[in-house]
Amino acid sequence: MTSLLKFIFFFFIIINSVLAVDTSGPKDKVAYELYKELRCLVCQNQSLLESNAPLALDLKKVVMDKIELGQSKSEIKTFLVDRYGEFILLKPKYSIQNFLLWLGPIFFLLIGFFITFTFLKKQSVYKEEPLPLTDEEENSLKKILDNNVF
Amino acid sequence: MIIELGHFLLALALSLSIFQFLLPAVGVKFNSYSMMKSTSIIAYMSFILVLFSFASLVYAYITSDFSVSLVAKNSHSLKPLLYKVSGVWGNHEGSLLLWVLILTFYSAAVAILGRRLPLKLLSLVLSCQGLIAAAFISFILFTSNPFIRIFFPNAEGEGFNPILQDFGLAIHPPFLYLGYVGLSVTFSFSIAALLVGKVDTIWVKWVRPWTLIAWVFLTIGIALGSWWAYRELGWGGWWFWDPVENASFMPWLAATALLHSSIVAEKRDTLKAWTILLAIIAFSFCLLGTFIVRSGVLVSVHAFASDPSRGLYILLLLVFFTGGGLALFAKRAPYLKSGSLFKPLSREGALVINNIIFASAAATVLLGTLYPIFIDAINNSKVSVGPPYFEAVFIPLMVPAILLCAFSPMLSWKRAIMDNIIERIIAVFICALFLASLIIITYGGSASAFLGLFLAFWLICGTLYEFLIKVGVKSSFKTFIKRSLNLPRSAYGMSIAHIGVAVFIIGATVSGAWRIDIEKPIILGEKIIVKDIELTFKGIKRVEGPNWNADRGEFEVIKSSGAKYLLYPERRFYPASEVNTSEPAIMSGIFSDLYIVLGESLQEKDSFAFRIYYSPFISWIWLGITLMAMGGILSLSDRKHRLGYGLKKV
Amino acid sequence: MQNKLKYFYSYVPLIIFFILVLFFARQLILKEDPSELPSVLLNEKFPSMALSRLAGYRLFSNKNLMNADNPSLVNIWSSWCVPCKVEHEFLMRMSEEHNIIIYGINYKDNKEDALKVLDLNDNPFYAIGVDKDGMQSINLGVYGVPETFIIDRSGNIRYRHVGPILEYHMEKIILPIITKIKQEKL
Repeated sequence: MTSLLKFIFFFFIIINSVLAVDTSGPKDKVAYELYKELRCLVCQNQSLLESNAPLALDLKKVVMDKIELGQSKSEIKTFLVDRYGEFILLKPKYSIQNFLLWLGPIFFLLIGFFITFTFLKKQSVYKEEPLPLTDEEENSLKKILDNNVF
Repeated sequence: MIIELGHFLLALALSLSIFQFLLPAVGVKFNSYSMMKSTSIIAYMSFILVLFSFASLVYAYITSDFSVSLVAKNSHSLKPLLYKVSGVWGNHEGSLLLWVLILTFYSAAVAILGRRLPLKLLSLVLSCQGLIAAAFISFILFTSNPFIRIFFPNAEGEGFNPILQDFGLAIHPPFLYLGYVGLSVTFSFSIAALLVGKVDTIWVKWVRPWTLIAWVFLTIGIALGSWWAYRELGWGGWWFWDPVENASFMPWLAATALLHSSIVAEKRDTLKAWTILLAIIAFSFCLLGTFIVRSGVLVSVHAFASDPSRGLYILLLLVFFTGGGLALFAKRAPYLKSGSLFKPLSREGALVINNIIFASAAATVLLGTLYPIFIDAINNSKVSVGPPYFEAVFIPLMVPAILLCAFSPMLSWKRAIMDNIIERIIAVFICALFLASLIIITYGGSASAFLGLFLAFWLICGTLYEFLIKVGVKSSFKTFIKRSLNLPRSAYGMSIAHIGVAVFIIGATVSGAWRIDIEKPIILGEKIIVKDIELTFKGIKRVEGPNWNADRGEFEVIKSSGAKYLLYPERRFYPASEVNTSEPAIMSGIFSDLYIVLGESLQEKDSFAFRIYYSPFISWIWLGITLMAMGGILSLSDRKHRLGYGLKKV
Repeated sequence: MQNKLKYFYSYVPLIIFFILVLFFARQLILKEDPSELPSVLLNEKFPSMALSRLAGYRLFSNKNLMNADNPSLVNIWSSWCVPCKVEHEFLMRMSEEHNIIIYGINYKDNKEDALKVLDLNDNPFYAIGVDKDGMQSINLGVYGVPETFIIDRSGNIRYRHVGPILEYHMEKIILPIITKIKQEKL
């Protein structure tokens, strides 16, 4: 236990010299988040944040201007979707059209559990308990365990 | 001449593969010992033929034979030798030939190592492999022939996408294919088991090492691709949930589930139908990946030149093998004898939950990747699904898996005895909570950063704790040493792999949460301070490389320790393909990476746009994945996995 | 009862797979380019844009597009855009042979370069508006150059063509749509 603690302490000291506190202001943060959620339409595999395409720079400017004007994230997104369609959103809208997409994962989990446990339940697990070991058997068991852990 | 020979050998290999499919199938049907026995030789011969065929293509590339259409389109005499060779598989046709080479290699390996397998089983496996080989070779010969000549060759090749001239990317396809094709072996085994009608211990003892091999290669292959993207694409990211990336990730998720499921199947003779289904699904994901990458149905920058007619052929392959496999499963699986029972709260139960989670994760990635196709068909609207979706959905799904991961090894088979375990869970929980809180309080961070750290520490503490208990740390020192040495390698492998996962989580969490992005114009001589590092922009020079010329910036980097480094970010121009690329300069360290991207020159004199990223702990991402692969390799070297171990000659 | 269920459940993966295959087949058969986006502004009024005048050429605004006698085209172009040079021939044909009014929007361009292109080549445009910083074209949902919009008589956008208009596009897509609009009752 003490060696574990020593390890943890050492680890902490290392991390100490590396990490930083996040200091960007709220406006930058909102812009940053929005850029990550919007697709560059020229280099279609990058978000606005990563892309250097001229259109991306223009769109980033549009977003920044609107943030300065005080518009909210959803207002800005609506503005862009009205002009470019939902394709520009990297995070699909929470709409009825997309409900399969957003609920899908939970659905898979539940179905998985349901099917599996339906099959497992049908096995009667409550077989008879085995008789306890005799002293002889206990001893040979101990011997085996000491030599081979698995 | 050599190319024509290669072409001929491939055609021969096609005939041989068809024979490899038919002979054992007939042999099994009519119980002919000699027919079944001779299949192995056919498998060896197929491999030799494809090997020489592949060699002829490599030869054409190395000698820059531009009369071969493929070489003319994709190579250039000025390319360094390594990239000429890797150029063989850096295109659609050549990569398929590599695929087939690895496939025949594995078939031959199964034939040699499987000498002691029940003959009927081995024959069916080789038959299935032969069919897959035949399908792929015919795909190559009829739609994607690498041996085509052009009659008026140019003196020079058309070069090669310069972004692909990178070591990581050069070896990434072979590793990936070694993984994909490994999964074809487990697929063949599953088909064979369904045809024979039973799944016994012998089968599982055979399937598990092949699954491990495929899994290790897939893990390394994906890591290489991600590492390449980080170093080459210039935005400091390492995973974009791009359809092509997902195409390799889905098989990996399925393979991981398969790996864990086969443990239960081997130890407890249960979950057999599930294991078989996973093996079929895992290989199907490989085929699906091939389809997505080469057919052009999804937007992706990684994809090979896409071609809907080739896509149709691959779709047919998919329908035949996956459809056939799943149909066989539907018919035969319910008749497999079910094995021993277990209570939900047991090692089996935990592994079942792990399986469900990984399978759901794979299904989720599939859903997100294909969703644009669904919506386009139903609603005729274009929707895109990007990283924000996947992150929002995938991470919560994985959380329970990781929580479970630390503890499952402590649960006993059949029925877990919970008394000790609850106190251990509490101990690990407190430890992880303490460590994660300490870091968040000291450095400030979001809730998601806290969660990531907590999960990582939970996993490390839990895995270490379990390991220490297993080797009896509480008893005498002598027992401790004795048990540690006697512990089977697969136990070490498991612990190391799980710790690798934790290291990966730390890397992903910390580099994401505490990354510093600086994007600004920088003037000559300007000094920038990032954390405790001082950067000075020293100048820009024009430089020439083997097939490119570039603007190279020079940055002097001084760390707090006083150590000085020079970094050279470049913007390169490749005249042969008229492409501009940005080569970031990266100073990698165990605890942080400094990443500088040279942008464009700006209006003001001597001023350039730069992006500087400071990513703490980002190397831990690849370190963690390497640990995972090493754990897998260690497990593989365990005596019990030695193919043929313990089997008497049949 | 539950015993029988497993015979059914085992078919589920197969069924799901076949549904997937149907979707894939559809995509392959359609042979669409997945990176091409249809305009979201279909059947909506052409947005008002603040375009500036190019010296020596007529200026236009969306008012020109509404209550027109005939459908028109709005073409986004630049002097630095290579595919624009390729489609120039077909724009000229539509303008002169088919008497289609084409409005041009000069996108993120340099005044001198734009004038030079118009001087050296025939001018297919009835009027030109300049969008110097590209911001106005964002209202149109423009994401590349060239793009061409077909506008009906009421000023609604009926179609967007992304990329250069080549012979095939002109004959099989643009002209038929324009003919169709002409046949519509006002």
